[in-house]
Amino acid sequence: MTEKPKVGVYICHCGINISSTVDVDAVAEFAQKLPNVKVARTYSYMCSDPGQVLIKKDIEEQGLNRIVVASCSPRMHEPTFRKAISEAGVNPYFLEMANIREQCSWVHEDIEEGTAKAEKLVSASVAKVRLLEALETKEVDAEPAALVIGAGIAGIQSALDIADAGFKVYLVEKTPSVGGRMAQLDKTFPTLDCSACILTPKMVDAASHPNIELLSYSEVEEIKGFVGNFDVRVRKKARYVDFDKCTGCGDCATECRVKDRFPSEFDQGMGKRSAIYLPFPQAVPAKYTIDPENCLYLSRGKCGKSPKCQDVCGAGAISFDQEDEFVEFKVGAVIVATGFDPFDASRKPEYGYDDYPNVITGMEMERLVSASGPTGGKVKIFNGEEEIEPKEVALIKCVGSRDTSVGNEYCSRVCCMYVAKQAHLIRDKLPDANIRIYYMDVRAFGKGFEEFYDRVRRENVRYIRGNPSEIFKRGNKLVVKVEDTLTSTPLEDEVDMVVLGVGLEPRADMRGVMDLLRLSQSPDGFFLEAHPKLRPVDTATDGVFLAGCAQGPKDIPDTVAQAKGAAASAMIPLARGKVTINAQVATVNEATCRGCSFCVSICPYTAIEMVTVNRFGNEVEVARVNEALCKGCGSCSAACLSDSIQPKSFRDSQILPQIAALGVLK
Amino acid sequence: MKMDLEQLRKTAAEVAAREEVKYLVGWKQGTYGYRVAPAFVEDAAGAAELIFSPLCTANLATYLTLAEQLPVPRGGEPDDRKVALMVKGCDSRAVTQLLVEKGIERDEVVVIGCPCPGVVDAALLAEKYPETEEPAEMKWDGENFLLIRGGEETKIARNEILAEKCRLCRYPNPVVSDIMLGEEVETWDLAEDEGVQELENRDVDGRAEYWAEQFDKCVRCYSCRNVCPLCYCQDCILDRLNPTWVNRSVNFSENTAFNIARAFHLAGRCIECGECERVCPANIPLGKLNRKLAREVRDKYDFEPGVDPDAEPFQASFKPDDPEDFIL
Repeated sequence: MTEKPKVGVYICHCGINISSTVDVDAVAEFAQKLPNVKVARTYSYMCSDPGQVLIKKDIEEQGLNRIVVASCSPRMHEPTFRKAISEAGVNPYFLEMANIREQCSWVHEDIEEGTAKAEKLVSASVAKVRLLEALETKEVDAEPAALVIGAGIAGIQSALDIADAGFKVYLVEKTPSVGGRMAQLDKTFPTLDCSACILTPKMVDAASHPNIELLSYSEVEEIKGFVGNFDVRVRKKARYVDFDKCTGCGDCATECRVKDRFPSEFDQGMGKRSAIYLPFPQAVPAKYTIDPENCLYLSRGKCGKSPKCQDVCGAGAISFDQEDEFVEFKVGAVIVATGFDPFDASRKPEYGYDDYPNVITGMEMERLVSASGPTGGKVKIFNGEEEIEPKEVALIKCVGSRDTSVGNEYCSRVCCMYVAKQAHLIRDKLPDANIRIYYMDVRAFGKGFEEFYDRVRRENVRYIRGNPSEIFKRGNKLVVKVEDTLTSTPLEDEVDMVVLGVGLEPRADMRGVMDLLRLSQSPDGFFLEAHPKLRPVDTATDGVFLAGCAQGPKDIPDTVAQAKGAAASAMIPLARGKVTINAQVATVNEATCRGCSFCVSICPYTAIEMVTVNRFGNEVEVARVNEALCKGCGSCSAACLSDSIQPKSFRDSQILPQIAALGVLK
Repeated sequence: MKMDLEQLRKTAAEVAAREEVKYLVGWKQGTYGYRVAPAFVEDAAGAAELIFSPLCTANLATYLTLAEQLPVPRGGEPDDRKVALMVKGCDSRAVTQLLVEKGIERDEVVVIGCPCPGVVDAALLAEKYPETEEPAEMKWDGENFLLIRGGEETKIARNEILAEKCRLCRYPNPVVSDIMLGEEVETWDLAEDEGVQELENRDVDGRAEYWAEQFDKCVRCYSCRNVCPLCYCQDCILDRLNPTWVNRSVNFSENTAFNIARAFHLAGRCIECGECERVCPANIPLGKLNRKLAREVRDKYDFEPGVDPDAEPFQASFKPDDPEDFIL
């Protein structure tokens, strides 16, 4: 039995946010006269405790059963008011919000216009609220395990936190070793801790933790399901080395017929590796991997009389007939920690990165100054005849960041400090060198950053404000063409070496992860968080969280902080053991559904499946919604040819009268 | 091509006699002149009246979705016998598109493919060779059509009376079939779609003016909708009252709303069989409208409806790299 609607309308002043351009009392007076409206009131802050009490009191005293709050966007305070009215005994879905702030007072200057529009918006909401249906929220069990994609510092930290809390974690890493970008770095700003020294213990912990199942050299193939119940399928790529037998002794790499022939990914191509390799000495797991493209036996089917690695391996671990394996498991939450790509300096051809060997990127500089790097930590360049220590060194900031010509408007956040750090490290190794940094701005915003910047400047590193336009060669020297914009002096600065402070970019292969988890990108191309301020680690997909540079450029402390935040958020469903599912889901009218399955293919959440039902004796296929997966987005409803699938609370029968009340539909 | 009538009738008789077949839909001679009527053949004997000639313009695929699924009486068994259907190349694309949209299931139909060298435009034919009461026969004869009337044979050059849709036809051979009659025909040199090209050459005002003139003629009989094999929504928006998307009144504004709505609902679905234009009593060049949208879909989305039965339905699929430059 449906009760006759008794509507209460509550109009918020929002301080002066609304009341300065909307005559709220006039709107209340107008609302009072609308059909079924029992009471209409205004209050300075409806969302405040006294505001909520006002609504609750009216519900009790006046027997209201439908509430319209005319205030801000429902995005922030819909849950607030839902909770309030449900505490007073009204179904939380008997609420409608009229957005008279973002869509009205903030966009109008004229009080009359603003008031007229607010009245229309309120009458539309009143029209709809009368037609809403009571909805119940449901709960389903959550699997107490998590998947972490990417095992750089972000992924490792998230995995460790979740595992320490007692939940199972599957840590999937694409490359043969965990560690990610941080493992490639030499020192970390501003404290100059050795990157490897602080990272490797965590790498080892991640591999040996009893609650963590590390799946290195693996990729996630498929993720189905929803928060609390994701079904994951992972491809473990063939290493051609028996994981359990390999002792990591390295005899195979030493004996490899194509020893040290191929550019090492870890050393940014400046060092060499064999076809069978360990990415770097501290790699975890310390298991060798054969690169099938370069291995003579795997690419050509023949390696001398017999492959040397096989001959020399005492453990008998080489296994050329190994194939990719698949593992499947269930998790309750997913953390995406896939990291970034360094900006490809070739995209700024004016800096000659492709043409001049002594123009290198920041990542290459990291390997060059690293004691474990290709030069053993010596900063050397080749001047055409011999290897020498550079005398004149220039570092350029904002390469590929804050640069619309390459499509990156954003600041990469780390370059100011890593360039300063590299200047410091170069000064350390080359006390007599002349070091200058070309910059647009210095953004030393973090803890200890300004102090570090100051220290570097005092180490006789010149900061010259100017964005170089070109780098070209003159004899043995590189010439940086630039205008010193503080003195308006054009310069042609002759140097031996240029370090390009390249920025951070979204990973080129992020599309795969986006499709797997149905994530979106923000305008900068990184993964989009659910709310830029209040839900920075969540995504629009429930149960999927972001950590580290996958969400946007950030330094190590921020990455670790976000990783810990993502871990804590991911643990909410795991610890609770249950997840609440959205009540405003799509429903199917099985009597009119014609079984075309357009909704199935259009659904961004794979929430719809076809089932066979009996319709007056005939077996017919109709759509059915998995309520746990449905987000109520309404795409299915738009695609439906027979109006048979409609989101609850947003049915045509509910929104058309709402639109009609605006006076645009007859 | 020579269509062997004997073979056609023999095959049709065999199919119609099958246990699993409810009835067969084909063409038969109409009651007068150039008329051809649909034939619903329920047994082998009925197949004797079937024909396939250059006059068989009608797309019979539309009958697949017209049949109602009736409630099964208590204790009864649902009738899940198949429907056999004779199709030309263009008609077969309608079948394929219906399969894509799950308007029908593959195991609900037996498709008898008739490779088609092109049919006539009956209006053009009647203009040049006025229709008489006596039923006329027509045949393909090499590069010509042969009109047989009152024992008299008239040779008519193919290009003289070939239907426009056939001049532009890229699929004369059925793209889907269970049984193929006769040999495949060779595709022919395509005519340029001058009608659409001419429209594209006009500016926006010119196009608006053209369509205003055309839609003004519409009498809203909905023949185009009713004959269209792909207009088969049981709950058509044109019929809806709440809300009334299109008012009943016959005037330029509502006529335009109707024709544009129908064209958009057919974008990426229309298989260019030309039936809408053929049946239009007001001679609105609806084919031009639909072909324009088909061209847009082909150029922008690289999609052609009614070719691949496993394709994703165009209007219900989304790719992140879909062009959107036309969105204002």
